[in-house]
Amino acid sequence: MLDIKNLHFRYSRRSPMVLDGVDLELRPGEIGIVLGKNGSGKTTLFKTIIGIHKPESGTLKFDGTDLLKLNRRQRAEITAYVPQRIQFGAMTVYDTVLSGRISRFGLNPGKHDRFAVEQILDDMRLNDLASRNVEKLSGGEQQKVAIARALAQEPRVLIFDEPTGNLDLANEQLILSEARRLAAEKMISILISLHDLNQALALGDRFFFMKEGRIRYAGGPEMVTESVIREIFDADVRMIDADGSRIIVPVQNGAHGD
Amino acid sequence: MRRQVLNSYLYFFKTDNMNNLSAIGKIRKKNTAVIIILTAVVILLALLCLFVGSSRMSLTECFAALAKKGSAAKIRIIWNIRIPRLLAAVIAGAGLSLSGLIMQTSLNNSMASPSTLGVSNAAVFGANLSIIAFAGGFLSTGNNLTSYTVGANPYATSLMAFLFSTFSILLILGLCRLRSFQPGAVVLAGIAIGSVWTAATTVLQFYATDVGLSAAVIWTFGDLGRATYRTDLIMAVVVIIGTVFFTLMSWKYNALLSGDAAALSMGVNVDLLRFISMLLASVITAVCVSFLGIIGFVGIICPHVTKRLLGQDHRVTIPVSALSGSLLLLLADTLSRCLGNGSALPVGAVTSLLGAPFFLWIIFSREESHI
Repeated sequence: MLDIKNLHFRYSRRSPMVLDGVDLELRPGEIGIVLGKNGSGKTTLFKTIIGIHKPESGTLKFDGTDLLKLNRRQRAEITAYVPQRIQFGAMTVYDTVLSGRISRFGLNPGKHDRFAVEQILDDMRLNDLASRNVEKLSGGEQQKVAIARALAQEPRVLIFDEPTGNLDLANEQLILSEARRLAAEKMISILISLHDLNQALALGDRFFFMKEGRIRYAGGPEMVTESVIREIFDADVRMIDADGSRIIVPVQNGAHGD
Repeated sequence: MRRQVLNSYLYFFKTDNMNNLSAIGKIRKKNTAVIIILTAVVILLALLCLFVGSSRMSLTECFAALAKKGSAAKIRIIWNIRIPRLLAAVIAGAGLSLSGLIMQTSLNNSMASPSTLGVSNAAVFGANLSIIAFAGGFLSTGNNLTSYTVGANPYATSLMAFLFSTFSILLILGLCRLRSFQPGAVVLAGIAIGSVWTAATTVLQFYATDVGLSAAVIWTFGDLGRATYRTDLIMAVVVIIGTVFFTLMSWKYNALLSGDAAALSMGVNVDLLRFISMLLASVITAVCVSFLGIIGFVGIICPHVTKRLLGQDHRVTIPVSALSGSLLLLLADTLSRCLGNGSALPVGAVTSLLGAPFFLWIIFSREESHI
């Protein structure tokens, strides 16, 4: 279980806290959705979990292991990251995914690593693209390759930073259903930041509402209410019941008769 | 370690279970073929270079001299002038090209090269200071200004050039440590500090005597004729150490192509890799430039053409960039000796004249890299 307690981080001693006492728990196989306005600290939280930023105080544990005491390679075997802006070199899809195993193979990949990559390509249905130049693929395909590369690390926690930002509807659905499948089949804890509240409601097991570097509300789907959304996003919404599932609709300023 | 380096090359020959991935196998075979063919071309061209020169020796005389037969003068031409010169072309070409490639990958910037980062400018200043201020060590066999350098240590100029370029890169890396090696900061710091060296060189040249100025300017031209077995050996040691390190780090550079955040999350110590790579690449450049003068553009042309044609996998780009660097410098040197009508043209000018049109053709004629 990913267990974060009272995590603090700031970029320099003079700057304000970007993470100001974050608490978060996520069990294996659960999808946690981090929601909050731009600048609320979501990306910083993710970068602190994977070890890009070093927290000033607080604990960061996985199954009792203190992640802060591990070296980079050991940490990469527990947490993997699909960044917001995906960037690749002109390499084949196969080699790009293989590069994800660098924490496991060190200098040169062995047979075992290549076997693992072939399994992942098969699993993610990327076999047909294996020899293609990853730079020339579509946005959705690149996102899948980035996920495959993260999976090649065989992580226990997978972190997606706004995975649907640049995707069309079909690719959005594809990526989110992949996340659901990976959590269920591989019992990976998945932490995702999303802007679309309806996508979030459809996908998440647990919800973490962030504001000003803190998680203000955490809980299951029942916790997602109009008042919580209003407080976190400073925006007015209505929740509509449609055949048993809830839909969140934004309300234009002044339209609700204030 | 030797086994690891070997393994990374043998990787191309390994055929594993790839029924549905046979296209990958084909790409690997193609890359292997390119490396083998390039190696053969470099060796052939190196042999050809041996027979080209101002002394108009016939092919038989060359072979005889190579076997240490015939006149003493001809044996000297082959063994003391032509062989050290072609070795310098092969070693420095590979070194300069590799330095460019590694700087571009480390800084995630296609414009990064020894000249844009101020390494060469610092070397020029160091050499100018040695020649103009201390009248020291003008190192040349081709353009010897004997009267100007009598009694001076022949290595003084090279040493000064080396010290200043190493100091310059340490200064840049030290400054950038403050901003945890953000690639943009390294490039900008390189450009800024490079311009300071250029300005300082101009001031120095302004106060120079005519002889000092001409000696200093000739030094910057870049001349493979300055190479001796000793300088070749020093360059070879540095270039080999660099090549071994870069080859071992191939997969880390591949990970770095995905950006800093992704590489860090994959377990790569990005700051450390960037620091060591930049330092090693700069030292290679500093050594080559100190002994031979400025040979520009190799560090930009060769890695870019390689990446355009074969993609960015460092298991391929490292050997191919090195070989293409050797090839370009060998070609440029041969051409400079053919065109120079008795004395060789500056090889640095010929590399650009020869490489730039090809470079432009590659950039504009192909839309995508063929992996």
